[in-house]
Amino acid sequence: MRLLGYIIRRLIQMTPALIGITLFAFLLIQLIPGDPVQIMTGGRASPETIAATREKFGLDRPLHIQYLIFLRNLSRGDLGISITQRGAPITHLVGDRLGPSAFLLTYSALMAVGLAIPLAMYSAQHAEQPIDHAIRIGGMVTLSMPSFWLALLLILLFGLVLDWLPMAGWGEGFFGHLKFLFLPSLAIALYLAPMLIQSLRASLLDVMQADYIEAARAKGLSPTRVMLKHVLRNGLIPTVTILAVNVGWLIGGAVVIETVFSIPGLGRLLVQSVVYRDYPTVQGLTLVFGVLVMGINLLADVSYAIIDPRVVYE
Amino acid sequence: MLSLPCRFRRRRILALVAVLAIAMLVAVACAPAAEEAAPAEEEAAPAEEEAAPAEEEAAPAEEEEAMPAEECTPTGEVKRGGELVFARREEPLTLDPAIPNDNGSIYAIEQIFSALTRPDEDGWGLEPDGAESWDISDDGLVYTFHLREGAKFSNGDPVTAGDYVFALERGRGPESGFAGIFEAIDTIEAPDDMTVVLTLKRPYAPILSVASIFYGAVYPQDVFEADPDGFSSNPVGSGPWMVEEYTRGDRLVLVPNPHYWELGVDCKPLPYLDKVTILYVPETNSRVLGLRNGDFDAMDGVPFNEAAALDAEEGITLHVAPIFRLDYIYLNHQNPPLDSKEFRLALNYAVDRQVILDTVYFGYGEIPNGYWPKMFYHSEDVPLIPYDPDKARELVAESGYNGEPIEILIAAGDTTFEQTAVILQQFWKEVGINAEIVKNDTGTAFDEIVAGNYQTSGSYITSDINDDDELAILMADISNDTSSFFSWYENDEAVELLKKAQSTLDPDERAEYYAQIQEMVYWDGYSVPINYVPAVNAYADHVQNWKNIAPGWWWLRTVWMDQ
Repeated sequence: MRLLGYIIRRLIQMTPALIGITLFAFLLIQLIPGDPVQIMTGGRASPETIAATREKFGLDRPLHIQYLIFLRNLSRGDLGISITQRGAPITHLVGDRLGPSAFLLTYSALMAVGLAIPLAMYSAQHAEQPIDHAIRIGGMVTLSMPSFWLALLLILLFGLVLDWLPMAGWGEGFFGHLKFLFLPSLAIALYLAPMLIQSLRASLLDVMQADYIEAARAKGLSPTRVMLKHVLRNGLIPTVTILAVNVGWLIGGAVVIETVFSIPGLGRLLVQSVVYRDYPTVQGLTLVFGVLVMGINLLADVSYAIIDPRVVYE
Repeated sequence: MLSLPCRFRRRRILALVAVLAIAMLVAVACAPAAEEAAPAEEEAAPAEEEAAPAEEEAAPAEEEEAMPAEECTPTGEVKRGGELVFARREEPLTLDPAIPNDNGSIYAIEQIFSALTRPDEDGWGLEPDGAESWDISDDGLVYTFHLREGAKFSNGDPVTAGDYVFALERGRGPESGFAGIFEAIDTIEAPDDMTVVLTLKRPYAPILSVASIFYGAVYPQDVFEADPDGFSSNPVGSGPWMVEEYTRGDRLVLVPNPHYWELGVDCKPLPYLDKVTILYVPETNSRVLGLRNGDFDAMDGVPFNEAAALDAEEGITLHVAPIFRLDYIYLNHQNPPLDSKEFRLALNYAVDRQVILDTVYFGYGEIPNGYWPKMFYHSEDVPLIPYDPDKARELVAESGYNGEPIEILIAAGDTTFEQTAVILQQFWKEVGINAEIVKNDTGTAFDEIVAGNYQTSGSYITSDINDDDELAILMADISNDTSSFFSWYENDEAVELLKKAQSTLDPDERAEYYAQIQEMVYWDGYSVPINYVPAVNAYADHVQNWKNIAPGWWWLRTVWMDQ
């Protein structure tokens, strides 16, 4: 019950934060030079067209009115219309992209965790031995590689040389998505997993020193059982935090992967909107990103309570 | 192991439920939004297909049979059917023909819509499209277009002159992306359903070419008026293709327009293919790898540095087509020292353009001797400004240049111009001109150019119609909205000649005028022209009859696959 109350309180707290974020983004993008209407009409439109277009998108109104209009539309569930996409409703644009982005994110997070947990456990159990160093150095290598280069290498190997996997788009249907998004998720996971491994390994080594672990071993439990049932649960929390922060960043940060693999995701939409000064879309995306990031952080906080029953929320 | 006391267990279950609930919320937010977009499109298509057969049965059977039997003799054989996957570097931002300025939208629109006339097979001439024939009055002011018999939109409605009038009025109205292209037209009328009459303000030779432009492409007035905002995403046209799916950021899927008039070499209606999926693949390496791998059948925007390798590869064919495009360095004539003719000519004399052509463009293209792209009235006889560093130094001294660095403005990420700018900087340094390269993001760079806050800038220009007039006058007339296309170039004599060139209907006279203008303005140091850039596409060997026409887009209706 307490936890449910906590969740509801956090959700309510999100609202003023979201207003703050959208206001901040709104003001910030107005400061950059560049006129979306000029950019869109490309220089051959007549002054009448430019004026009419400005009017259509409400860009001739004073700034505070524009922001209030945005809030009013929002209360009706309408994110407005895109300047660059010539009047396409932003809710549709975001809706179309949310699926691919969410799938990609979830898939890469699961892959990263799937890689990180076993490798970190193995590393911790064989600490300071050659295999441990190999895992950590390997992780350092994939972490330091520029993501687009790693992505291209994967495409080259699995797409061209071996021809096992497709190289562009996100496919159709659930299994189509699993196939098409395998390489992009792997590219992200190879970047994410080393961070998780590093943190988890350190945390596990720490926990492994504890008295209750020695007690468990003394009781005769196998090393695997000790690791899985006792060490892991106690060492997982800092890593969950790192995962949550990175996934939050990846919502928009996956733009490079999205571009290389031609995935119609939110990151690409955001970058395109900023480059073309598509104010309404930037606004709408900021809001969506805010909701997603806060949602992920909330999920992380709640998961602490699950992992560690001692955690109690007021 | 102690077992958990009851209260801990309950709390953990609640917590688990809470996490599941949040996860489901996120999933629910994602899924319906994505799925709502798709079914809406799918529902639209079947409705159109149901309307079509009904119309075809109603129309007299004789009409359908008489034409092919009498007027068409098969001249070749093709394999019909198949789906072509085409990876493009740009995506359509709208499919409403009256509004766009970006080639991403324009080239897609050209597949879906028809106008009164259209560029011919290689793009340099004109041929009938929506209009079967036309008459020109003796004074050259009244053009009467006779529309094609039996022409229908993809939804089965007949194409009427009223639709053309509506479309053309919108094309020159306040929503249009380039109303100025129709400037010479006085009135647009439809005396009856099959006739469109354009009355001009003055004799204007480019009008037939202007009649081909997508801003005037025809669509059903009633369909548009029923949902003006939705037309951008759900267009109806009379071109060879219609839209099956349009997912922004992802793909445009085209299927044949069942009512398209044109017949193929086998005397059956075009297009030959069953479907064309145009994917948006912005990353160049992805396009190349996808083509090599067989994921794509064709791609555009082949990078110059990989063109030769792709050509050599088995199973892939390279397609280099001349198009109406010029890459050049814009000069801002109102910003010293660019206001000095000697200085501007020095900028040209100082550069060995062959070096740029070889290193940046890998030999693709041609050194320009004019200030607009190479089109029908291009004159080969205008002498090239030669590479002569000594002459350049002389001119620099004559111009009184004070040594202050001039700025080369580039849009960040434009690798072609980034390389060109570095080479130019080197050449200019050797004759005593200091230059700084400034890279701004696209929006900021564009802003500065439009406002005139730049000295030199690297960019390109393309023509939408196949008449030289559009660009020749756009780039040289300071009194227009763009101030000589952001160059602030002032030359009344040139403008006089340009007006004469557009008002005479005699092609030889026009050729003479344009040759004069080309030489005058080019040798005035209007810009530093870099390259007449061709379009470079590549496709799998089984793709037949791929055509990239000179105005820039492709004839997808006559493509077929040998599979």
